[in-house]
Amino acid sequence: MSSRPFTRRRFIATTAAASAAAVGFPYIRTSHAAGSLSVGFWDHWVPGANDVLTKICQDWAKKEKVDIKIDYITSQGNKIVLTAQAEAQARSGHDFMTFQAWDPLDKQGLLEPMDDIIGTLTKANGALEPAAQYLTKGKDGHFVGVPAVTGTQVKPPCARLDLFKKVGVDILEMYPTLKAPTKAAENWNWDTLLTAAQKLKAEGHPIGLGLGQTTDSVDWVGAMFASFGAEMVNAKGDITIKHSDGVKQGLEYMQKLVKEMPQDVFAWDDASNNKYIISGQGSMIMNPPSAYAVAKRDNPKVAEHLYTFEMPKGPKGRFAPYLPFIWGVWKFSKNRSAAKSLLATIWQKENVEKLVNGSIGYDIPSFAGQRNFKVWEQVGPPQGAVFHYPPKGDQKVWMACAPAPVAIANQMYVQGFMTKLIAQCTQGGMTIAQALDWGAKELEGYQRS
Amino acid sequence: MAAVLPRSQATPAVRGGGLRRVLRRKSTLAFLMALPLIVLIGALVVYPALYSIHLATLNKSMERFVGFGNFEFLFKRDLFWMVVKQSVIFAVSAVVFKALIGFCVAHFVHNVPAKGQRKWRGMLLIPWVIPPAMSTLAWFWLFDPSYSAFNWVFARIGLPTITWLGDPFWARFSVILVNVWYGAPFFLIMYLAALKSVPEQLYEAAAIDGANWWQKIWYVTLPMMRNIISITVLFSLIVTFANFDIVRILTSGGPIDQTHIFATWAFKLGIEGNDIPLGASVSLFMFPILAIAAIFILRDINRRGNEA
Amino acid sequence: MAAVLEASSAGKAKTGSMRRDRKRALYWSYFFLVLFVIFFLTPPVYMMITSLKSSAEIGAITNPWWVYAPTLENYWALLGSEQYLTFFKNSAIVSVVVVIITMLISIPAAFALARMKFWGSAALGMGVFLTYLIPETLLFIPLFKIFAWVQDTLGIEMMNHYWVLMVIYPTLTVPFCTWIMIGYFASIPKELDEAALIDGAGYLQMLLKIFIPVALPGIIAATIFAFTVSWADFLYPMAFTTSADQLVLPAGIVTILIRGDVYAWGQIMAACLLGALPPLLIYAFLMDYYIAGLTAGATKG
Repeated sequence: MSSRPFTRRRFIATTAAASAAAVGFPYIRTSHAAGSLSVGFWDHWVPGANDVLTKICQDWAKKEKVDIKIDYITSQGNKIVLTAQAEAQARSGHDFMTFQAWDPLDKQGLLEPMDDIIGTLTKANGALEPAAQYLTKGKDGHFVGVPAVTGTQVKPPCARLDLFKKVGVDILEMYPTLKAPTKAAENWNWDTLLTAAQKLKAEGHPIGLGLGQTTDSVDWVGAMFASFGAEMVNAKGDITIKHSDGVKQGLEYMQKLVKEMPQDVFAWDDASNNKYIISGQGSMIMNPPSAYAVAKRDNPKVAEHLYTFEMPKGPKGRFAPYLPFIWGVWKFSKNRSAAKSLLATIWQKENVEKLVNGSIGYDIPSFAGQRNFKVWEQVGPPQGAVFHYPPKGDQKVWMACAPAPVAIANQMYVQGFMTKLIAQCTQGGMTIAQALDWGAKELEGYQRS
Repeated sequence: MAAVLPRSQATPAVRGGGLRRVLRRKSTLAFLMALPLIVLIGALVVYPALYSIHLATLNKSMERFVGFGNFEFLFKRDLFWMVVKQSVIFAVSAVVFKALIGFCVAHFVHNVPAKGQRKWRGMLLIPWVIPPAMSTLAWFWLFDPSYSAFNWVFARIGLPTITWLGDPFWARFSVILVNVWYGAPFFLIMYLAALKSVPEQLYEAAAIDGANWWQKIWYVTLPMMRNIISITVLFSLIVTFANFDIVRILTSGGPIDQTHIFATWAFKLGIEGNDIPLGASVSLFMFPILAIAAIFILRDINRRGNEA
Repeated sequence: MAAVLEASSAGKAKTGSMRRDRKRALYWSYFFLVLFVIFFLTPPVYMMITSLKSSAEIGAITNPWWVYAPTLENYWALLGSEQYLTFFKNSAIVSVVVVIITMLISIPAAFALARMKFWGSAALGMGVFLTYLIPETLLFIPLFKIFAWVQDTLGIEMMNHYWVLMVIYPTLTVPFCTWIMIGYFASIPKELDEAALIDGAGYLQMLLKIFIPVALPGIIAATIFAFTVSWADFLYPMAFTTSADQLVLPAGIVTILIRGDVYAWGQIMAACLLGALPPLLIYAFLMDYYIAGLTAGATKG
C-alpha cells in the first residue's frame, strides 16, 4: 500500500467552502509496517466529526505500527446495512465493521466474542446501558459487539423555541436552560403535542415527524408505541398485534396527528427532516443534534432557536428512541487482535470525550460513567441547546421493535413495518381494524426462516 | 435477422479433398471466433439465470431445499401482487407515453426544413445520453419535499404544491414521468429514421385522394412503420419492465411500497433484507413476462426477415 | 424530403391554401418542438443552475431557477477531491477496458455469424439476441451469490472491487454490439468476399482488411454504445462495490455524495454534470454515429 503523509491532506475549513466538507476523505491510509487493518465506520452526520475519529485511529496505528485503512460508510440509502450484508455473504470485507440496531445479533454467528473488552470497559466506566446490553448479548451469553461511540444516538424532539412559545408552549419552562426538568414537564405528553401541532399548522409551521422507512422515522415511532404500551410481537415470537390495546391507542393517536403534518412525511428519508427544520419551515422534528449542527453553520438565524429536549410522555411512560451503532469484528477477519486493540483505544475516556465534543454532543456513550461530559452544557446558542439531549431522569431508552425476537425484529425494523402500519390507516385509508389485519399478515411473513 | 444469413458463394480454387479441408477449417475458425461470445453468455448470463432458479428453491438461510415454497409464500403476500400490478402499470403506461411522444415529436422534427433538423434532434436526444442515475438525481432534487423548484413556481402562481414523492399517486406519476422523459428520445430517433423511409409518393397519392393529415397518418404512416413500432415498443417494454435506477433513486419503492417494481423489490428483499432466495424468486417472475414479449418480437422479426 | 415537398407545394402555389397549410404545420411544429425541448432540457439546465450555487444560496431558498451569486466553488471542490477523482478514474478505466473487451468479442463473433455458417450459428444468432432480454435485474442476485462463493472457496476477491465490473459489463454490451455488427457486416456486398478469396486471402485477413474498414461507422457506433452503457450502469456497482475507492461514478455520487449534510446539493449537481460529461461530449462530437448505431440495430439486419 502506498503511504500518504498526513500533511498532504488539504483542510478545507472555511464556511464559504463548507459544501466541500461534504466531500470528505472517507478513505485514508497511513504508513505501513506490521499487520494491516481495514475498518468501516459510520459516516457522521455532524460536519467535521469524522476527523476526530480519524486522528484517534491514526495515532493508534502509528503507535502499534499497523497499516490502517478507514472507510466512512453512510447510512443514507441503507448503505451501511448493505455493506454489512455483502460482507456477511462474501465472508470477507472490513476487519472491524459498524452495524446498526438489530443487525449484530442477526449475524451473531459471524462475529467475534467481545466479552473481554466489555469486561474491561465496564470496570473502567460503569455499567453498560441495558438497552445496549440487550442488543449486543448473543444467544450463548457472549457479547458479540461493543456499542459504538460515534453514531449511537437518541432522537428526542428538536424544536423551535420561538414558534412553540407563540402557540403557548413554553419549552424553557418545562426544560430550563442547564437545569433539570421542572414539574411543568409532567404536562409534556402526546396530547399537548397534538394541541400544539394543530396550532402550529395554523401558523404555517407544522411539525414534521417522519413516517418513511428509514431509521429516523422508525425509531421515534417505536418509542411512541412503547409509551402506549404497544406490543406487536412478544419476546417469545407470538404475534400479539391484534390483542394489544397499546397498538390501537397509538394508531388512533397517529390518525389525529398525521392530519397536522405535511403530507410528504410518508416519503421522508433520514435527511428530509433535517432539511425541513433547517429551511425554517418546520417547527419540530425528532432527531439528534445533526440538524442543529448544520443549521448553526448554514442558517444561524434558525439555529439559535433550536432546542433539544425530552420525548412527550405516554400512558406507559416516557421513552427515548434509541439507535445504537455497534462495533463488531468479523470472525473471518485476519487481524482480530489489532481490531480489538483499536476498539479498546477508542473507548478510552479521553478519546470518548474528544469524540463526543467533536460531534457537539450527538454521540451518547453507552457506559453510565461517561454521561457527564461538559459538552452538553457548552453547546449553543441557544444556551443549553443539547443539555436535555442525553437521556436521563424518567426517560427510558427504547429500541424500536423490542421485545420481538431478533430475526423478526430486524425484519420489522429494516422494512419499516411500524411506519407502514401507521400509513395504512392514515394515508392508505384503512380502518384501524383493517390495518391490524394487514399488520398481522405482514408479521407472519417476517417469521420466514 | 441473424436467422437469414447470406451464404458465401465463393469457392476456393482447390477442389475435392482440399475443398473439404477448407470448409472444415472455415467452420472451426468461425466457431473459434464466436467462442468468446459463447463463453461470456454461457458463464455470465445463462449460468446465473439457471442458478437463480436453483436459489429460488432454497430457504432463507440457503440451507434447505423448499421447492416451490418461496413462490407459495409470495403468492400469499398482498405486497407481491401489488408489485406485479405496479410493474405492469409502470411498464405499460411508460411505454405507451414514450411511443406517443416519440411518434409525435418525430413528426414535428420531420416537418422542419432538413438542415434545421440536426440541431433539434441533437437537443431532443440529450435525456437519453445523460446517465440515468445522474439525471434521476436532478429530478429527485426537483421533486424534493422542502426544496422543489416546481413547487416554488406553483406556490408563486397560486397553485397547490404537490407532494411529488410522498403521495402514492404522485409518486407513481413522478416515476413514470422520469422514465418517459428518459426514454422518449430513443423512440423519437427511431421513428424519425423510419419516417424518412416512407416514400413521398404515398403521401402525395393520399393527398390527391383528399386525405387530411390525420388520415394520412392512419393509412400511410402507421402501416409503413408497423414493424419499427412493434419492435421498439416490445423492446422498450422489456427494458422498462426491468428498470431499477429510477425507482431506486427517486422513491426506493415508497411510499408504503406503492412504487416498488420487481427489480427494486428484489433488491430490497434479497440484498437489503438478507433473504437471497426470496429476492431471486421475485426476480424470476419477470422472466415469463419477458419471455412472452420476446416471442412476439421474434415472430415479428422472422416475419420481417422473410418478407425482406 | 421536406425540401421536395416544399418545392412541390411551391409549384402548387396557385392553391394558396396548400402553402398556408404547410406554413401552419411548420409553425405548430416549431411551437411543439419548443415545448418538448423545454421538457427535455429542464433537468440538465436545472442541474447546471444548481451547480453554480453556493450552499448558502440553496439554503436561502431564493429563486431556484436563477443564480444570484454564481460560483464555481462546487466544481473546484470536486476537482480537488481525491474521492471524486477516484470515481472518475474508476469509471474511465472500467469503461475503456469494457469497450476493448466488447469489441474483441463482438467483432469476430459478428463476422462469424454474418459470414460463416457453422453448426448452430443460426441458433447462436437468436441466442445472442435473446440474452439481451435477460435483464441485469434478474442476474444480479445469483451473481452476488456466485461472487461470494468464489471469494469464499477460491479466495479470489470479487466483491467490492471495480475490476469485477469489467467482467460483467460485457454481458450488457456484447449482445447489442454483436447485433449491430452483424447488421453492418451482412450488408457488405459478397463480391468483396469473393474478390478477396480469389486473391488468396484467409478469413482473418478478410476481416481485418476489408470488413472492419468498410463497417467502421458501425464499429464506431457500437463503441459509443458500449462506452455509454458501461459509464452509466448503476445496479451492478450498487450491488457489488461498497468502498469509496472502488465505486464508479453513478453509484459513487448516489451513495457517497448524498450525505446528511443537506446543503451539498450544489455539489451533487455539479458532480452529476461532470459525471455526465464524457457521454455528452462523445455525443456532441459523434452524434451521427451515435444515432446511426441506434437505428442500425433496428432497421438493419
